[in-house]
Amino acid sequence: MGLVCRVAEESGISTVCISTGRDLTAQVKPPRSLFVNFPMGNAFGRPFDRDMQLRVLRAALALAEGATEAGVIVDLPAAWPQPFDFNPGAPGG
Amino acid sequence: MSTEFRGQAPIPYVSKLSDYYGAMGHPPYRWTVNDAAPLRPLPRPVRECRVTMLTSGGISLCAMPGFDPMARNDHRLDAIPADADSDDFQIHDAYYDHRDADRDLNCQFPIDRLRELRDQGEIGSLAPRFWSGFMGRIYDRSRVVEESAPAFVAELGKDEVDLLIAVPA
Repeated sequence: MGLVCRVAEESGISTVCISTGRDLTAQVKPPRSLFVNFPMGNAFGRPFDRDMQLRVLRAALALAEGATEAGVIVDLPAAWPQPFDFNPGAPGG
Repeated sequence: MSTEFRGQAPIPYVSKLSDYYGAMGHPPYRWTVNDAAPLRPLPRPVRECRVTMLTSGGISLCAMPGFDPMARNDHRLDAIPADADSDDFQIHDAYYDHRDADRDLNCQFPIDRLRELRDQGEIGSLAPRFWSGFMGRIYDRSRVVEESAPAFVAELGKDEVDLLIAVPA
């Protein structure tokens, strides 16, 4: 996905990536990334949490408008209320 | 901003995914590591921009076939009408827990919220099409860079998109 953003940007289309995997994003280096430290699959928060969904979107839009540094990763100052892990192939996938 | 953060440390996905795919017998994944990035400044304020969104989370309209939840090297890319009903989607991807997104698409692909921001004037307009594709486990990345991503970007150009919001999963 970061690669797609890079290709878009090289073709003249601005991008902002909303990432839940900070180390993955740091490797690929999309042009602009908002890191949301929520579980993968919950990039915009919990179901029906309209306020958080809007907050993440607005932070991404502000980053798209304001970023001047290529490859920047901005951390959304929000925390998931419970500990979480990543288990690919587990129930729910 | 990060000094305010009180949650857990970010999950080390690189090592976890390497272990997961190694245990499945896949060859070692050669991660893309870039030292620099291109940057195209937004040509005008967001409130005047045309915006679209791309998900790689195996999300498709119910009228379409489901994505292969275990896909590898799947270059399928669906165009989704910008007025699609957020209750009319299915998710097939074994890579992440999408039970919350099954209940409310907007926690992974917030099309209702984007339309609200457009209606409130915070976004200039939405492109006629949203997008779903580029699922994980793409090993032939040169094909992404040389073929599928440029083809996708050409479609964005047809829709006169100023800003792409990309949501990997």
